[in-house]
Amino acid sequence: MNAIHLKKGFSIRIAGAPERHLHRLNTPDHVGMVPEQIPFVKPRLLVEEGDSVSIGTPLFEDKRNTRIRFLSPGGGRVKRIVFGPRRIIRQIVIALDKDEPCEAFDVPTVEQLDAIPRQALVDTLLAGGMWPFFKTLPFMDLADPDTVPPSIIVRLGNDEPFGPDPVVYLKEQEDRFGLGMDLLNKLCDRVVVNLTGDESIGSALPDQAVIQRYTGCYPAGNPSVQLYRIRTGSEQNRAWFIDGQDVILMGDFLRTGRYPVQRIMTVGGSLAPTAEHVSTRAGVPLRLMCNGGLAGEPAARTIVGGVFTGFAGSPDGFMGFYQNALNLLDDGDREEPFGFIRPGANKPSYSTAFLSAFRRKPFPMDCGQHGEVRACVNCGTCARICPVDILPQFTMKCLVADEVEEALAHGLLDCAECGLCTYACPSKIQLREVFQAAKAQYYKEIS
Amino acid sequence: MMKVLKGLFNTTRPHFESGGRLEKLHPLFDAIETVAFTPALTTRSDAHVRDSLDLKRYMTFVIIALMPPFFFGIYNTGYQSHLASGLNLGFVPVMMQGAWVVLPMLMVSYAVGLFWEVLFASIRKHNISEGFLVTGLLFPMTLPPTTPLWQVAVGISFGVVIGKEIFGGTGRNILNPALTARAFIFFAYPANMSGDRVWTLVEQSGQQAVDAVTAATPLALLPLVTAGESASRILGDAGYTFQRLFIGNIPGSVCETSALMCLLGAVFLVLTGVGNYRNMLGGVFGMLAVAYPGYLIYLSSGGQSATMFSVHPVWHLVMGSFAFGIVYMATDPVSGPGMNLSRWIYGFAIGALTVMIRVFNPAYPEGVMLAILFMNLFAPLIDHFVIKARLRTRVPNV
Repeated sequence: MNAIHLKKGFSIRIAGAPERHLHRLNTPDHVGMVPEQIPFVKPRLLVEEGDSVSIGTPLFEDKRNTRIRFLSPGGGRVKRIVFGPRRIIRQIVIALDKDEPCEAFDVPTVEQLDAIPRQALVDTLLAGGMWPFFKTLPFMDLADPDTVPPSIIVRLGNDEPFGPDPVVYLKEQEDRFGLGMDLLNKLCDRVVVNLTGDESIGSALPDQAVIQRYTGCYPAGNPSVQLYRIRTGSEQNRAWFIDGQDVILMGDFLRTGRYPVQRIMTVGGSLAPTAEHVSTRAGVPLRLMCNGGLAGEPAARTIVGGVFTGFAGSPDGFMGFYQNALNLLDDGDREEPFGFIRPGANKPSYSTAFLSAFRRKPFPMDCGQHGEVRACVNCGTCARICPVDILPQFTMKCLVADEVEEALAHGLLDCAECGLCTYACPSKIQLREVFQAAKAQYYKEIS
Repeated sequence: MMKVLKGLFNTTRPHFESGGRLEKLHPLFDAIETVAFTPALTTRSDAHVRDSLDLKRYMTFVIIALMPPFFFGIYNTGYQSHLASGLNLGFVPVMMQGAWVVLPMLMVSYAVGLFWEVLFASIRKHNISEGFLVTGLLFPMTLPPTTPLWQVAVGISFGVVIGKEIFGGTGRNILNPALTARAFIFFAYPANMSGDRVWTLVEQSGQQAVDAVTAATPLALLPLVTAGESASRILGDAGYTFQRLFIGNIPGSVCETSALMCLLGAVFLVLTGVGNYRNMLGGVFGMLAVAYPGYLIYLSSGGQSATMFSVHPVWHLVMGSFAFGIVYMATDPVSGPGMNLSRWIYGFAIGALTVMIRVFNPAYPEGVMLAILFMNLFAPLIDHFVIKARLRTRVPNV
């Protein structure tokens, strides 16, 4: 297995990596859905406050394609639906019953899987609420059920700090993963498992699986970056991708005929009480995840997802549909006397302008901006760090000048939205935000 | 100590906030306060963590890199002045004399430049960029010690306003502001800094009157080399040995005589990643690439033709202000190109043009200032073609 090594990019040495042991969390008394954090989806509610729901009851559908439905991660009663400005749906909170009712779906047996037509399988996945786990590049929207993708990328291992380790979630789930892979192979002729991290996992995978290993710095585990490294033609751009853990969920769904709600997540970051993997369920309240709240740490930031691309949550929130990681970092809301001239032995940096360049230990990082916003001085740091060889400083200027065509030629759509350019910019320009907004705008115009 | 400072900022802040008496000067207050305290800003959204490097540190590192030539320049200015005036050559009096010449120029440059910066920042309602601190320091360092202070004021005004602010401020200028300022002085007041004569401050004992003596710069000697003569000998006769040119204890503009000090600064800039080595090395290669063939022609003709190339090519690296220009001016990221290949081309062209101006154009003995300004104009064009070539290799994705 020849690994593709990623040289461009940067692995921040951040403290608080989750341990590999698995901690079983207590059952929550309520779970939640956070439609606001699912990109591009236009949700239409299918339940009201007070309704009784089972595990697998549709909570909302996507107005753009009503066959795509998001199912309830818990059985009980819809306790509260929280709206934000312009009636955006913030949260759907479900109080759980003792014995949760569960919807049963009509799924093909393992033997039937070989013979079933692709369309029937797609319909089963749509009905069973499994479809949204497929996303499509480059916009990272939900996959279109009516198209056949050029390939499906299974992302086994996400190297953004910090997320679940495949070694943990694959343990004793190999057969379900294999079943999920069989299902993917029915959907597309070309399914590639992109493996980052431990090489040993490769042996746990089904024999016939096509495995491509990626090594090197962050974001080697990002499907956009992986596709950028292997694609040979523009027809491969619209590949789908799915997270490794979600493939296990596919297998689980086929085996049981029920909407799977068990998840393995991580709690990480320097403020995490214990940085570890936890076994819990989808839509778990953040308060439960961070061990009863952060009583002693008022200045903590709760990040749902990785530290580069995650959402800032509050302890009253819930885990998102796609996020299996919670990171707790110091908010960094404090001034620093003469910060610009300190030797900085404990200040992490991509540059060599701090003594920290000699340090090998991980840093307890915070969410401070570490400087004021300035105009771009064309220092080129972003272009050096960009894993997909975009020239962020030039592309950003194209976008500011409304030269969208030029930005596209620069490879705007290859942007993996990994956040490294924003991280490294000494002028503190939010490049990722610029690119993400431009991509979304372009997507809106072409679709 | 920090508490006292913090208290001082807290009590004066209301005056500078909206509604306060000095509301319009808020950028100035902000600039001073953020020097003392990195503000408590946190990331609003992704990416949640940010690098510790900010533009303040970035620009401060350029200033730190400028310190070796700066202090050497103070010493050398005083030394040359005392040497010409026949005064005490001890370290302390020489440093005093140098500081007496250089510091007023620096203060005028900073004060007048800051005035324009604050004016534009107040009108545009944005913060003062740290880039100015570099410009305001670079400019006086490139001036002859006899430059009148009013010329320093006029020069920095032109550099900041025309060189930078009318384009939109730091990050948007196409020319290096410090060099724009110097070029303006150079062409507007040629009697004070013609370039082929070098100016040393002479203090006439007793009378306190300040006068200047001039002498030919090493570069101005080059065109004087006639067939059959050796440039090295002519330079040596004038007291310019390679070693002296390298160390820089010769008369000249206040802080740019020493190639050694510039080399120290260059090492610091490259190690910290603030200056790009491609611009510098490209410049060295460009210089040698033009000077060497010329030198070979001179040698092959037995010293009869191409006499302007008679000096050994390596001498070009230490003569004039090439070292200072290529290390501190050509590495300016704003006015230079942004692609790695462009940086090589840009540096190479600066080096090549510098030699060409030196040897072919007797009107301007030193060419590095004009070469850099000229290439500033071409930087976007070089980038344009380099980017175009690079995009051709991309798999399209639309």
